[in-house]
Order: sequence, then C-alpha cells, then structure tokens
Amino acid sequence: MDLVLQIIISGLLLGGIYALISIGLNIIFGVIKIVNLAHGDFLMMAMYAAFFLFTLKGIDPFVGVFIIFPAFVLLGVFIFRVMIKPLLGTAETEVNTIIATAGLGFVLQNLALMLWKSDIRAMETSMTGQSYEFFGIMLSSGRTWAFIVCLIVALLLYYVLMYTKIGTHIRAVSQDTDAATLMGINVDKIYTLTFAIGIGLVGVAGAIIAPTYNMYPTIGLYFNTMAFIIVVLGGLGSFTGALIGGLIIGLVEAFAGVLASAELAQVFSLLIFLVILFIRPEGIMGKGARV
Amino acid sequence: MKPDKTPLILGILAVALALVYFLPLQIYVRHILILTLLYAFLGTGWNLMCGYAGRLSLGHSAFVAVGAYTSLLLFANFGITPWIGMLAGGVFAVIVMLLIAYPSFRFGVKGPYFTLGSIALAEIVHNLLIYFREYTGGSLGMSLPYQPTSLALFQFDGKEPYYIIILVFWLAAVFLTWKMERTRYYLEAIREDDDAAAALGISVNKNLIIAACISAFLVAIGGTFYVQYYRYIDPYSIAGFTLSLNIALVVVIGGSGTILGPTIGSFLIIPITEILRMSLGASMPGLHLFLYGILLILCIIFLPKGITSIPGIMRAKKAKKDNQLNQGAEGVL
Repeated sequence: MDLVLQIIISGLLLGGIYALISIGLNIIFGVIKIVNLAHGDFLMMAMYAAFFLFTLKGIDPFVGVFIIFPAFVLLGVFIFRVMIKPLLGTAETEVNTIIATAGLGFVLQNLALMLWKSDIRAMETSMTGQSYEFFGIMLSSGRTWAFIVCLIVALLLYYVLMYTKIGTHIRAVSQDTDAATLMGINVDKIYTLTFAIGIGLVGVAGAIIAPTYNMYPTIGLYFNTMAFIIVVLGGLGSFTGALIGGLIIGLVEAFAGVLASAELAQVFSLLIFLVILFIRPEGIMGKGARV
Repeated sequence: MKPDKTPLILGILAVALALVYFLPLQIYVRHILILTLLYAFLGTGWNLMCGYAGRLSLGHSAFVAVGAYTSLLLFANFGITPWIGMLAGGVFAVIVMLLIAYPSFRFGVKGPYFTLGSIALAEIVHNLLIYFREYTGGSLGMSLPYQPTSLALFQFDGKEPYYIIILVFWLAAVFLTWKMERTRYYLEAIREDDDAAAALGISVNKNLIIAACISAFLVAIGGTFYVQYYRYIDPYSIAGFTLSLNIALVVVIGGSGTILGPTIGSFLIIPITEILRMSLGASMPGLHLFLYGILLILCIIFLPKGITSIPGIMRAKKAKKDNQLNQGAEGVL
C-alpha cells in the first residue's frame, strides 16, 4: 500500500514538472495556432542558463528564475519578430512554422554543442539528493519545489488571463482573430506578447528543473515529445488540460517505470497519446473540435 | 492543355546521372551523390503521402527503421538475402502505416495533430528498438555481417554499384509519383482541394491511404539501402527525429506536392550539408549543423513554397509588369 501511495505521489510530482514544461507550449498554440518544435530546446537553453548562473555566480536556480524569465521573454520577442511573423497568414503557415521551429531547434542544439560540448552536466545545489519525509512517504525536495512553482505559475497565469485587460485581449485573439481586430485589439502585439510569455515560461521551467535533471545539448528532444503529448492529451490551447495531462502522464510513467522499464513507460504514454489523438483530438479538456 | 514535359525532363536527368557513373570521381564525391540520391528517393516517398495529402509527417524515420531492421534481422539471423528482406520490410512498413493512416484519415486527424501523431509513432518505434535489445542490440546498434561483393546479397566493396542501384530506385519512385499524379489516384486534385475532390466523387480517403502505403513501402526500401550501404545502424540515426526532419526538409525546401521538388531539394541541401560537415565538422563540432539550421530557416522565410515555386513567382512578376505596361498603354490611348 505504501509503495502504491509512494508511486502515486512521485507520479503527481513528476506530472507537475511536466505540466510546468508544457504551459508555454500550450499558450503559444492556443493563441497563435502554431506548433513550436523548438520548445524543448528553449528548455535546454534555460537549464544551461541556470547551471551557469549557479556555478559561476552562485545564484540558486530558484532566484535565477527572476533573471532567466525576463531574458527569455526578450528572446521570445526577438524570435517572433524575426522568424515567426514573416511566416504567418499564408496557406503554408502551418507546415512552414513547424519546419522553421524545427530548424530553430537544430540551431539551438548545435549552439549548445559548440559552446558547451556534449558533456553531461549536473549541478549540486542545496536541494540535490535531499528529500522530505511526509507520513512515511519520501518527497524529492527538488521535485516538490518544482511542483509548488508550477502551481504558483499556473495560478498567476490564470489570474492574468482571466482578470486583467491584457488577458482578456489574449483570450479574444485566441477565440477569433478577425473579431478581435474589429474590436480594436492589436493582434500583432498580442501575438508577440503571447510568444514572449510562452518562451519566458519555458525559461522558468528550465531553471526550476535544472537541479533535478542532468543536462546535455539534446535533452530538449526528450522533453519536447513529453510536452507535446501532455498538451494534446489535455487539449491544445486548454490551460487546465495541460495540468491534467501532465498529471496523467506523470502517473503513467511512475507506474510503468516501476512495473516495466523506462522505454516501455514511454511507449505506454505514447500509445495513450495516439489513442486520444484518434478518438478525441480536441483533448480531454478541449472544447469542441479545433482542427 | 499544354503537353506534360515531365517525362522528357526526367529522361534527360536520368541519362545525365547515369553518365556521371562513368566519370572518374573521387570516392568522397561519389558518396555525396549516393547520399543525395538516397534522400531524393526518401523524399519522393515522403512526398507521395505528405506533399499531396497536405499532412506533414515528421515520423517517417519509423518506416526507414522498420525497413532497415527487418531486412538486417532476416539476413543476420536466417541468412535471407536483403533483396527479399527489403520487400518484407516494405510490407511490414505498409502494415505499420495502415495502423496509423487508417484511423487518422478516418477520424480526420489533420494539421499539427497529424504531425504530432507521426512524431509519436517514430518515438514508439525508437523506444521499442531499444527495449528489444536482445535482438536489435539496443542503443549500441547492429552491424551488417560482412560478405564479399555479391549482387545476390546486396553487398559490394566499391561504391559504384550502390550508385546505380539508388539511381534506379529513385527513377522508379519519381516515375511512380508522375503516374499516380496523372492517373486514377487523383493526387493532383486532392492536393488542390480535398473537399472539392470528394464532392466530385473521388474517394479521397481510399486514395490517400493507397498513397500513404506506397510512401511507407518506398521509404522502407530506402531503409534497407541505408543499412546495406552504411553496414551499421542504431536507433538514434535511423529511427530518430533528425532523419525524419531531414526527409521532410528536402521536400519542403524543394517544393512539396511536386514531382521533382524532393529531388531538387535534395540536390541543393545534401551536398551543402556534407561539404559543411567535411570542412567544419572536425574543427568545431556542431558548427555545420548550426549553419544548416540557419540556412533552412532563411529558405522557409524567403521561399515558403520551395524552390520549384521560383518559375511561378517569376511569371507572376512578369505578368504584373506586362499588365502595368498594358494599362499604361491604354491610358495613353
């Protein structure tokens, strides 16, 4: 019984991390309707940023977040202006944004390879290897804090989207671009802002998970697949869906990881993903067909 | 209707490439040519499904891997010649394709959802190859048991025979695309507007599934060629995202949904990548792929419809200019 509970709790914590990683991807798809295949590679860059802030300047990743978030927001603005915006609004937008962001992923991975070599790096913060005991259940402290940050980010984002003027604009653009334009909303500005926030949030996720994962230039590929599975599971563009999707995958991986092997755990998540894709492409929480 | 010049262009191209065989080329140049034709072949296979159906697959490495591992396992364990293994791999790939293509066309999975599904498929194959490490060697990969030059066993010591084989494969694939586009599969109509094609009584789903199966078959054959040529495969190189992406890129850069787009894209991209790799790869790992990524983004931004759209763009510009001249003349009159 204890083992089952332990697996459930670990699964939920893992799910929280996955949800945090997927939020940025989700918001970009929900509003701009483009798939950012370089998502995992932005995450990788943020992990390295947190690593170097810690090893060179002694800044803990949980503090470093406040440097990495604004930096990644600016990076997002730059990427959107230079690369994404010229591709929008044509018949090939869908295919070309996927290809271009995949190309961007290539650029980021190889930039990391050039700058930092393919060595596997890990950082030792005060949290490494630590865990809390809670009624006989062990909680990895890095993951627990990542989970808490995920909740905070989720609540903040929910507040911004639902209760602020800019949030209302973002939601309006995501529902109907033309109507939003007629209402005097500057769609271009909202797109830039959304992309920037999305990239900023990946930055946060990368910094937070840096102490608990080893990093190497192609680690983004692993998280990329995971993030996409979660986002589609929950419903592309659905925010609560990302949280639920993250928790489901976290649980599946935790159980399958104990009962079978790591590779089979991933195969299980992928199969669940494919089935959901066929029977309910709008996702568990998605409202109606979005295709 | 103007006559179709495709067979003529194709014939000239094939003869020119066949003549290249007789040139005293350096081994390295020959290697680049083989690689270019291999990607042109894989791209042509990809294009048959993805270019015409408007569905972007970034998981075609799954079929390359199925083809490669099937023929390699059959040869290594049972001594079955790769020529038969190649066909077996193709059939196996068609089965895998049916498993995914039938439900996705049936339930209308399109756009980014289709792309993500295809990535998931390739990931599944990748993970299974690692999981069944007793048979596949897992992450360490597998080598082709060495045999001296033998046509029956699809193994040669020199590069020349591989060049001829891939040239024939490529020609067959391009010819098949041309036939399918023009004849009863209505790929051209489906590409332009699948709803309109359906309204005209064309069975869109059936034709798409046929195209998808042929696509998987061809790409799997490319997988067998890959293993016979390189003599070594591992899940990362053959079932990885990079290979899927490269196959798609060759087509998108060349012009997807066109007969020669994949070939043109391949002849542009593959030599550049290889030359970049040779000149920069050793001194600074990653630099050549970094430059490649940038080149790719630039191509997509400035030529969103691929290289084959250039003549169309030029014509449109000329027509616009003529139009302006005519209007000017009318104004004077």
